[in-house]
Amino acid sequence: MTTRVRASTIAAFLGPSVFALALVGIAPLLYGVWKSLHFFNLTKANQQEFVGLANYATVLTDPVFWQSMYRTAVLFFVSVPTQIVLGVGIALLLHRPGLGALRALTRLALVLPMATTYAVVGLLAQVMFNIKYGVINQFLGFAGIAPVNWIGDPVNAYIAVIFWDVWQWTPFVALVMLASLSSVPPEIEEAARLETGRWWTILRHIQLPFLVPGLVAVLILRTADTLKLFDMVFTMTRGGPGSATEFIAILIERTGNRQFDIGLASAQAIILLVLTVFLARAYIRLFYREVR
Amino acid sequence: MKLRNCVSAFAFMALGLAAGSQAASAWSLEEAAKPYAGTTVDVVFLDRPGYNAAKEMLPEFESKTGIKVNITTLPYENALGEQVRDFVAQGDLDAALIDLVWIGNFAENGWIVPADTFTKDPKLADPDLDMNDFFPLVLNAFGGWNGTIYGLPFDNYSGLLFYNKCMLKDAGFDGPPETWADLKDKYGPALTKDGKFAFALQSKRNETQSADSFARMLWPFGGSFLTKDFKSNLNSPESQAGLNFRQDLMKYMPPGIVSYDHAEAVNALAQGDVAMITEWSAFYSTLTNKDTSKIGDCLAIAPEPKGPAGRKPALGGFSLAVATQADDNEKAAAWLMIQWLTSKANAQTYLEKGGVPARQSVYQNADNAKRFTYIPALVESWQDGVPEFRPRFAEWPTITEIVQEWGSKMMLGEVSVEEGAKTIGAKMEEVLQKAGYYDGKKPLAQ
Amino acid sequence: MAGKFSRPNRHGPRKPVAAEAIVLCLICLFCVFPFYWMVTTSLKTQVVALQSPPAWIFTPTLANYWEVLFEDRVGASLINSLIVAVATTVLSIGLGCPAAYALARFEFRGKKDLWFWFITNRFVSPVVLVFPVFLIARQVGLRDTHLALVLMYITFCLPIVIWICTDQFRSIPYDLDEAASLEGAGHWRIFWSICLPLAMPGVAVSAIFSFIFSWNELLFAYILAPKAAKTAPAMAITFMEGYDVPYGKIMATATLIVVPVLIFAIIVSRHLVRGLTMGAVK
Repeated sequence: MTTRVRASTIAAFLGPSVFALALVGIAPLLYGVWKSLHFFNLTKANQQEFVGLANYATVLTDPVFWQSMYRTAVLFFVSVPTQIVLGVGIALLLHRPGLGALRALTRLALVLPMATTYAVVGLLAQVMFNIKYGVINQFLGFAGIAPVNWIGDPVNAYIAVIFWDVWQWTPFVALVMLASLSSVPPEIEEAARLETGRWWTILRHIQLPFLVPGLVAVLILRTADTLKLFDMVFTMTRGGPGSATEFIAILIERTGNRQFDIGLASAQAIILLVLTVFLARAYIRLFYREVR
Repeated sequence: MKLRNCVSAFAFMALGLAAGSQAASAWSLEEAAKPYAGTTVDVVFLDRPGYNAAKEMLPEFESKTGIKVNITTLPYENALGEQVRDFVAQGDLDAALIDLVWIGNFAENGWIVPADTFTKDPKLADPDLDMNDFFPLVLNAFGGWNGTIYGLPFDNYSGLLFYNKCMLKDAGFDGPPETWADLKDKYGPALTKDGKFAFALQSKRNETQSADSFARMLWPFGGSFLTKDFKSNLNSPESQAGLNFRQDLMKYMPPGIVSYDHAEAVNALAQGDVAMITEWSAFYSTLTNKDTSKIGDCLAIAPEPKGPAGRKPALGGFSLAVATQADDNEKAAAWLMIQWLTSKANAQTYLEKGGVPARQSVYQNADNAKRFTYIPALVESWQDGVPEFRPRFAEWPTITEIVQEWGSKMMLGEVSVEEGAKTIGAKMEEVLQKAGYYDGKKPLAQ
Repeated sequence: MAGKFSRPNRHGPRKPVAAEAIVLCLICLFCVFPFYWMVTTSLKTQVVALQSPPAWIFTPTLANYWEVLFEDRVGASLINSLIVAVATTVLSIGLGCPAAYALARFEFRGKKDLWFWFITNRFVSPVVLVFPVFLIARQVGLRDTHLALVLMYITFCLPIVIWICTDQFRSIPYDLDEAASLEGAGHWRIFWSICLPLAMPGVAVSAIFSFIFSWNELLFAYILAPKAAKTAPAMAITFMEGYDVPYGKIMATATLIVVPVLIFAIIVSRHLVRGLTMGAVK
């Protein structure tokens, strides 16, 4: 329930955060839009000139840009479903009765990956997936599998990124799902269990409706994080080998930070932003109950 | 290129200095630094042997002068970006660390101060500075741009062939390959077996790809990046021969060579996994360090192999220059530090602590050549190198990104050598066009 | 409210418990093993770290920690991280709670759009903002300051606070407000002494998230704070791609960054799990 109040009161409550977010969120964005209309290279500051939409034309016709968008999309469509399947599985397992201490311990263990600094995940990946000194290849060796060149091969490097994304975020999905499962009224679940012993039927007919909001949240947050994905890849492969793991954020960073082409990087960033806002809007419209 | 003019200008200047030195015979570092005691000099260093040597030496400088040196250590791949952003933002760096391929860029932006500002100042110039003692090639390539000297050579490299003579001997070779063709056709098949590989060419998609891998194969085969009129020369038969050679050579390299940076290549040799690498001279101290290297007495060093067009080894290295953004005190203090670190008097210490000085005098000491086995090969490489091994103009940071991207794609087989070279050429010409080389706005200097 | 883990069924068919226990152990191992490897690698000398196959039993050394803490300024960068994370959290909570309250309780035009705009900021990639912000920071003299980082971290922390707290405030019965209002309390009074205390669980959760996200951030830190205000994640990447990759030092730095936040996360894990379901799951 809500109430109508004086505009000045509303302004007092909301003003500071609107102002703050406008200052740090919108002002730089407008500046970025302005710069994206220029040829502006940090190492050629004296050659700055207004070029209109030329940077946008360059970006939109640049196969490299679309390839990195495609790579980002593939990552999302491979890794998020994996996380959801594994996450729901783990949640169902944790939801079962018995083995209290072990389950509590598992819940604690699940908290760790998602709290880990993303940049550190990439560094860990470098150490553990090293072709020669890496412990993963040692494990594979026990199973009689020849050393895999994880970081040096385009396909394997991509798999390694997916692996670590799954490692870090499956626990997140599992915990959200577990919380959703716990919101199923026990009486209903109990009654269903008396009727059928099949977990699949219970999942589909009883639990799934309660899982949907959580799934939507997972989908929204994972979409945002996949578009943002930078730290872990930057510290693991820096987009390589070649461009095998050059996701969109890595590409933009490279343009701005290594080619110093701030104009072009800003155009790429604005296009990414437009896509982001579009997706966010669509998601929230489709799935999400807004403030009433 | 105006190297010759530049050299003669310096010879002249050095004469002038020599004449002046009688008058200023009372010059001492302590005296010169007195007005600047308490000044802090901010500088970027890398995590490489030469810098660690300098770090060990600098306390002496600090106690003599009262100048404090504040070092920020960065990985090479971040060093350009951090410095560019600092200079653009008018930050606090007082000295610039300049890879030879950055010098055109830094100089054109006016971020670094010409050295003669200080060498002409009798209060600051050490009478024993002796610019002629630097290898002329090194001084001009690392520290000079368009006829002006900005930086003094500090961390100096030439490409060398490091090899495991025990592995070569076991395979029936008495010495290292003299030519690239031998390396591929004779040494390659003989040394690639039992999980070991004949050769590793660091080719990661960063400066390593363009400098250590791409350019290294262009020049010995007679190729180059640019023609005389600054058009792409990458599709010339010579350049193509070099790039195709690189592609063929990959079968004697470990898999995943496109993810090898310096650390991986050096380590592969150090651990006995590959028999030969072509690497910078500066790795000598890493490879001889018993804590990190198993190669021990099997390590041997030779000049890089020859191609049809001659030796043309890779040339690279860093100079230190005073940054324009520093205030006058910081400028003077920074100059004193640079001058001291690269001085003739300190060259021996620097060498012993693991650095590679660019002073000719220190290499004339026969004893040194015995103790540091890379010296003969190094000195030979510095007699006759290609300063534009990688063009040093302001556009290089943009062009190197193109070379890195498409050079890696080539090696991975994602594009053919010919297609890749064409793409690099077209993109490179676009950059040069924009920069104004084709309509005479800019002199064709590389 | 979720958070208590219900055990709904005590007399279902007992499947082989052993198999379940093994799977649970494997899940634990999968989550924890990388940390085990990180810590043990940080205790290795370079020679041991470069053994192939990797060594499981070796003589540990603390030399890496000594080196990174005192020679490589990692200690200072950890302090910077702490300053920035705490300041961001305090500021985000201070700004976000009143806004969340207004969004939950007041009726006004454009509310949906405003809420949407707040939340959208959670989606915006730092790489979109970082270059313009760098240029602005250089002009206003904020480069390499804690303040610059705090301001930028607000772009993703404030939305989290607003998202979670709006939800929390809405779950507080409106009767309480009305009762207080009848007694003559103003909006600030009601917010401050009635609703905020009741909303503490949500505030705590969003504070935890703000802290963890700020502590972990890399890109803004890397571009905006190159030296004096350098944070720990930005410090960690400076050891990469040196002439030899010092695995022990890198992992020691990683351990120093990650372990405090992991301990923190375990302590507050109950809140953390609940926070995932608030705002996000309704």
